[in-house]
Amino acid sequence: MFITKYIKEVFGGVKSLLTGMKLTGWYALHHKKEKITQQYPDNKDTLVLPERFRGEVVMIHDEHNEHACTGCTACELACPNATIKIITKFDITPEGKKKKALDTFVYHLDLCTMCNLCIVACPTDAIKMANTFEHSVYDRSKLLKILNNPGSKIREGIE
Amino acid sequence: MTAAQIIFYILSAFILGTAILSVTTRKIFRSAIWLLFSLIGVAGLYFWLEVEFIAAVQIVVYVGGIVVLIIFSIFLTQQSGKEMAKASLVRTIASALAVVFGFAFTFLLIYDYGFEAGNKNFDWSVSKIGSQMMGTKEGGYALPFEVVSILLLAAMIGCIVIAMKSKPEEK
Amino acid sequence: MPSLEHIANVIHVWLNNTFSPFWATLFEFVIVGTCIIGLFAMLGLVLIMMERKVSAWMQLRLGPNRVGPVGMFQTVADTLKLMVKEGMTPDGADKFLFNLAPFIAMIIAMVVMAPLMFAKNFQIWDINIGVLFFAAISSVSVIGILMAGWASNNKYSMLGAMRSGAQIVSYELSAGFAILSIVILTGSLRISDIVNSQADGWWIFKGHIPVWIAFVIFLIAVTAETNRAPFDLAEAESELTAGFHTEYSGMKFALFFLAEYVNIFVVCAVGATIFLGGWQPLHFGTGTKFNEIMDYIPSSLWFIGKTFFLIFVIMWFRWTFPRLRIDQLLNLEWKYLLPISMFNLLLVTLMAIMGWHF
Repeated sequence: MFITKYIKEVFGGVKSLLTGMKLTGWYALHHKKEKITQQYPDNKDTLVLPERFRGEVVMIHDEHNEHACTGCTACELACPNATIKIITKFDITPEGKKKKALDTFVYHLDLCTMCNLCIVACPTDAIKMANTFEHSVYDRSKLLKILNNPGSKIREGIE
Repeated sequence: MTAAQIIFYILSAFILGTAILSVTTRKIFRSAIWLLFSLIGVAGLYFWLEVEFIAAVQIVVYVGGIVVLIIFSIFLTQQSGKEMAKASLVRTIASALAVVFGFAFTFLLIYDYGFEAGNKNFDWSVSKIGSQMMGTKEGGYALPFEVVSILLLAAMIGCIVIAMKSKPEEK
Repeated sequence: MPSLEHIANVIHVWLNNTFSPFWATLFEFVIVGTCIIGLFAMLGLVLIMMERKVSAWMQLRLGPNRVGPVGMFQTVADTLKLMVKEGMTPDGADKFLFNLAPFIAMIIAMVVMAPLMFAKNFQIWDINIGVLFFAAISSVSVIGILMAGWASNNKYSMLGAMRSGAQIVSYELSAGFAILSIVILTGSLRISDIVNSQADGWWIFKGHIPVWIAFVIFLIAVTAETNRAPFDLAEAESELTAGFHTEYSGMKFALFFLAEYVNIFVVCAVGATIFLGGWQPLHFGTGTKFNEIMDYIPSSLWFIGKTFFLIFVIMWFRWTFPRLRIDQLLNLEWKYLLPISMFNLLLVTLMAIMGWHF
């Protein structure tokens, strides 16, 4: 019947509103314990970021200053907004053959959206996302980064 | 001159001034706002007379109701922000004559008969006002009046129901 | 501790003994005006601070915490900033009405304060139509918004003003019905009579179910009348930039902002007066120890406490519910609140005639 439906609607509406108010009221009473705000500049020393937080792209180097990048440009092709530019060179192997290798890994931090596609595309897991996030600089040109360390070379056995 | 008289003259000047502005301004929205101030001034006059109930009803009905309605209809009209054309000379003269005749008429009435100084106490409680309005004795015909208006409302709803298109049958 | 009534009497007697009655009345006007303006400034600072803190708690944030201890002076700093900002008037605006509108909004918020009873026998004007005065003056508050919206010469302002006009005009009805139900039970419109009728129990206890319904309807309706979320269609940041005050800046904007918060205070004070007993302390039974302890708390604190409780509830609404659409808003009023409150009014009348309330 119309009138029972109407009354049901009113009571259902009131009940759902009270449910919402119960939750926010609970939050208001427990805000000291539950609060999620980080007091950023004050807690710089104790700040713990989640492991999967994406701050910037870095290249993994081991203790011998060796990386795993073959210069295959898979990341460059995967990047949706041309953040990565890979310059390759040709190394001469001991057998006298020419081999393609990485010369410079250019990374435009100012263009990067931290979408993680390059990391997924990399066949040798040479790059990863780092946790650093304080990227502010006074000059835009400082955001142009070269990811491979000077003098680094590819690790043995990586094709 | 007592303070009450000074307040009376200030209120009257306010009412007249805003009323004149309301009919002379050439922007329709400003005209409505001046009308609003004029009506608020009338409510102030009622407060000055210490008939607070009438004053509040004046504000509810005229200021809160009718002027808001007028402003709404102004909003819904085209070109409400434009200045209106100047009134023609004939109209100006005609309205001036109407004002003069109206003034002369009122002045003559007051001059001939004068005002009777009221000595009634206006400090009536709300329950008294209510029983007076609901009563059937002298001056208490608000209830029959309202009954008639409800009859009109019923007739109007009936008209709407008759004129309403019936919904197509659901299958 | 001297009560507010006592202080007011001392000042009144002193003024009348020192000056002639005319000058004494004039000085009293000046004192009352100054007090009201001071109260306005205080309310603006306190309520905005409270709103920001409450919203932070409900969203698990911290809220302002940099200026002063736990951010207490944030609103003072904000006010200073607004004072030194330039108050711009757009070129295409109707300059006179544009500059008049914030003052209209402010004056109306001030006038509504007149019949409020802040403590026992402490009131500016004990007018015999108290709650009707409140209903009448608050119906004028829409004028300031309409004026601001039209004079800004901006489509967002205009839309916001139209919306808020439709909203205030329609929700006034159910707010009026909710107030009327208490007027029926009390038999008087005078605020002091309404408060005194609750000496043996607040109406919310004495009037049980019908008064509860009226109270809930009153809360919903006044939330809509003050243009607050979930009924903040007049401002609706995501749709209309800032609604009717899009073009306002500096102190003129601050006046609108202040008027909004003062309106909230006033409607909550009226709600506390007619439903929660005004300054009457909480009593159970008669002559118990509990009642005596409650009587020790000053009446002004009771009034302020109840008012701020209602303000907290309205803030709670704001930070819980999503904004309504305009058609949902009008549906809620005309299809639900108005029929229910009309029926409830009949119920209250029946209750008052049969004496079913306690």
